[in-house]
Amino acid sequence: MLLPNAWEQRWQIWLDERLPAKNQHTFAQRSIFIIPSLSGLALLVLLSLLMILGINFQNSLIYVVCFWLLALFVLNVLYTYRNMAGVTIKALRIQPCFANSKAVIELEISRMPSRTHWNLVLEWPEQDQILIELASCQSTRITLSHLASKRGYFVPPRIKISTTYPTGLARAWSYFAPDLTGLVYPEPIKQDTPLASDGSAEIEGKVLAEGGSDFNEMRRYRAGDPIQRIHWAKYAQTGELYTKSFVDYASAAIWLDWNQLNIVGTERRLSALCAQVLEFSANQIPFGLKLPSKTIEPATGDSHRDQCLKALALHGLPYE
Amino acid sequence: MNKTISYSGMLWLLAAQFIVMLPFIMYLPWWLMPIMVAAVIWRLRVLKGYSAQPSSLVKTLLVTIGVGGLVMSGLPFPSLDIMLSVLLLGFAFKSLEVLTIRDAIIVIFLGYLLVALHFLYTQEMLAGLYGILGMTILTGALIGVQPSVTVLNPLQTVRSHLKLAALMLLQAAPLMLIVFFLAPRLPPLWSLPMMPGQTKTGISERMTPGDIADLTRSTELAFRVNFKSTRPKQSQLYWRGLTLNYFDGKTWQQLPEDYDFINFKNQVKGEYALNSRSVELRGDPIEYEALYAPSGQPWLFTLTPALNVEGEVSRVADYRVMANSINQAPILIKASSYPQSVRDLKLSHTLRRLASQLPLGSDPRTHELAQKWWRESGENVDQYIQLILGHFKREEFYYTLSPPLLGDQNTIDAFLFDSRKGFCSHYAGSFVFLMRAVGIPARVVVGYQGGKWNEQGKYLAVHQYDAHAWVEIWQPEIGWTEYDPTTAVAPSRITEGLDSFLEQQEGLLHQSFRAMQNNLPWLSSLTQQLDYLQYQWQRWIVGYDQDTQGNLLREWLGDFSVKNVIFALLGLFGGLALIWTVWLGLWKKPKLTVEQALVSQFDKVLAKQGFQRNPAQTMRDFIKQVSAKRPDLSQPLQQFAEYFEHYCYDPEANKTQTLKQLQQVLKILKRIKSTQLGRNIAPLRPSRISEG
Repeated sequence: MLLPNAWEQRWQIWLDERLPAKNQHTFAQRSIFIIPSLSGLALLVLLSLLMILGINFQNSLIYVVCFWLLALFVLNVLYTYRNMAGVTIKALRIQPCFANSKAVIELEISRMPSRTHWNLVLEWPEQDQILIELASCQSTRITLSHLASKRGYFVPPRIKISTTYPTGLARAWSYFAPDLTGLVYPEPIKQDTPLASDGSAEIEGKVLAEGGSDFNEMRRYRAGDPIQRIHWAKYAQTGELYTKSFVDYASAAIWLDWNQLNIVGTERRLSALCAQVLEFSANQIPFGLKLPSKTIEPATGDSHRDQCLKALALHGLPYE
Repeated sequence: MNKTISYSGMLWLLAAQFIVMLPFIMYLPWWLMPIMVAAVIWRLRVLKGYSAQPSSLVKTLLVTIGVGGLVMSGLPFPSLDIMLSVLLLGFAFKSLEVLTIRDAIIVIFLGYLLVALHFLYTQEMLAGLYGILGMTILTGALIGVQPSVTVLNPLQTVRSHLKLAALMLLQAAPLMLIVFFLAPRLPPLWSLPMMPGQTKTGISERMTPGDIADLTRSTELAFRVNFKSTRPKQSQLYWRGLTLNYFDGKTWQQLPEDYDFINFKNQVKGEYALNSRSVELRGDPIEYEALYAPSGQPWLFTLTPALNVEGEVSRVADYRVMANSINQAPILIKASSYPQSVRDLKLSHTLRRLASQLPLGSDPRTHELAQKWWRESGENVDQYIQLILGHFKREEFYYTLSPPLLGDQNTIDAFLFDSRKGFCSHYAGSFVFLMRAVGIPARVVVGYQGGKWNEQGKYLAVHQYDAHAWVEIWQPEIGWTEYDPTTAVAPSRITEGLDSFLEQQEGLLHQSFRAMQNNLPWLSSLTQQLDYLQYQWQRWIVGYDQDTQGNLLREWLGDFSVKNVIFALLGLFGGLALIWTVWLGLWKKPKLTVEQALVSQFDKVLAKQGFQRNPAQTMRDFIKQVSAKRPDLSQPLQQFAEYFEHYCYDPEANKTQTLKQLQQVLKILKRIKSTQLGRNIAPLRPSRISEG
């Protein structure tokens, strides 16, 4: 925007009032702005030239061309408006992401059955944009990405939706402020020194149920064993079905403890912890997380990981 | 965003360029067209990948050749012709480098400009239709070059763009017409250099009977006349254009000095301007309105003598009426003529001298003949004229449009004694010569004779082939009298018109269109209808000027009171707005489908109960979640889901009945009291800040 700051702020406040955040919005008169585009303004220059020609040569047909283009220019505004009116945009979700990576919002754009829409641009200016049409389908799902610079909640800025259809002489645009937030985990930065501290040695080596990572033993097939684990080579030898069984070991309940980190700075600590959480989860190593405000018991699995990451993301922020 | 234009956009552009440039070959140097075609073909090859993008060296070379060619072409500089040629060259060469959407839009706008500029050369109805074609293609191109998602194949895309362009122009037309008819017409802001394509049509200011004329065969329209009073007989329709006084032995011209139009206009004062006192009005007036096609000349054609002429005209002492400027656009005048009047009982010295001039020593045989007849007639003017006309009638004189050449000297002798074949100019010229030879002031009048009556439009259409030359002689006490010596040779030329005359005489036009339409009644009526359309076109579109506008508005509004004007404007623009909203389907609110409406109703009812559905959540999932917290809602919710799925997905469902059931369930859900317990607690959210 080329507006001075004070005006820019007013404009933003006015927009907030006019187009409050919500998860679904259907564009109509109240929320669509239209102005002539650059080529529209160029057309007006051409029209003045034609007008001068028409006057000077007293040529009726030049007048006709001039006025016809003028009428087209006016009519085009209605077309451009119609191309946007009735479009419904719905914010579905924002996938969690890491700081300094892209937060991705999923949107569903749909139309009324009686109208078709062409060449709609959805964009986060300077971040991402996508050109869609809503004619061959009733609704379409798109994603739009935006750099999430800080951990915590990503509050998506207003999404600009615009169109210059059909002739590009006018531009209609509006904003959609999704009432969603996305989690932004700390940026994972791996440390050279291990962070984990062993809690107590006695659980080390304890077998944790039927896992999947380490080979344990070969035993007779029992009904219900997964077919991938049947030892076919053995079957070929003996003619009997054997199953390979696996276990996970609780490698002495590793704790990631905030207070025992040898790193300066909250964000750097969080980043290091984040990287470690990801590494343990990827290797299916059970671990626990101790933060000043929160303790998460050792476990493995995706939901455990997400819980830990969320705790890291929101650490020290006023939401939790 | 991708700013380069798509393949179909490029095709659009090339088509538009071709259509726009095509008609200019008729007016500008012919070699412009091959250059344009070459540019277009090169561009197509680049698109197809056969050729490389022309290097800047090649482009510089092309531009040099183009500009050099223009310099060599000898077009006057500065002139609109040369400006247009440069514009066209640029337009053609631009296609060699069009890549971005912005470039494409520049080309398209240039195209619109060229469509308009073409009307400086011609404002015919056909040119107008061609202009509409150009506008449509250009608008299609404007739509076609916009960045877009491709879902259709190129052909479908082009077709849909073309359809949209045509529809938009059609819908824009009413507004265009309103503005066209209502916008005030201003006088030219500054005077202009020569108009482009200033070709003169119609009669010439010089008449050289010894040269072959082909004017008579042109079927172009000269003017149309609407009679307010009864239509005079065909044989009385002598439309005076100008008079030729000076004869140099070969060529007749207006005055001894060869004036061009601007200088001639400066002469029209004093003795040369018409003094209305020199006319003695007699008889009933013929009132008419004449609409002249642009001719590149100032001459207008009226019945003699035309008085009370309304319009931007001057009147000259020889009773001609001329426009104050060169006739570039159709011009409309109203006039009343009094054919029975007496003109110039007294002839001024200058005019008498002009009407008596003869070249020294030329045509001795004709002089001898004149003296002989003058004596035979007893120096009686009427007798003398009868002798001459009788001679034309009795002797072997022929009317023909392709007479033999008469040489450079003694052309009158050559015609009267040797060839005896000629058309109106020959007869008129010799007649005036014979008059002057015995001292009777006489002059040649050129203009048109007759015209074709259009029954449908109730007007007379005068064409170039009606061009004619006749004479008038001056006698004391009587003034000027008009004679048409051609009637002596070919009376049907006047009474029946040139068409039928030529058909009888020479069979010349038997193969031609004109002869054909005379034999086919339906063709004749078709051409009449076309001519009528042309007339309306000239009258209401091309010739629509300040005067016409004033008359039209007075007719519609009565008077220009503020109230009337406001009502008229409100009516027009209100009507237009209504038409547009209905036509574009903007009047009805966009409707939800039944399914969408049901979901939105359902969400609303449950929101009242305190449950907000996550937009990404499925209905089933949501119902499960709600039922867990509010078992009392579980049963109707389950029912709703079932009916809903039934409604949406079961092809055999009874839609109306299911809909009724669904609405009933919704009613039940609404009636169940929400309990405080069941209320969802809204999750804590960060407040909105403008920076992500």
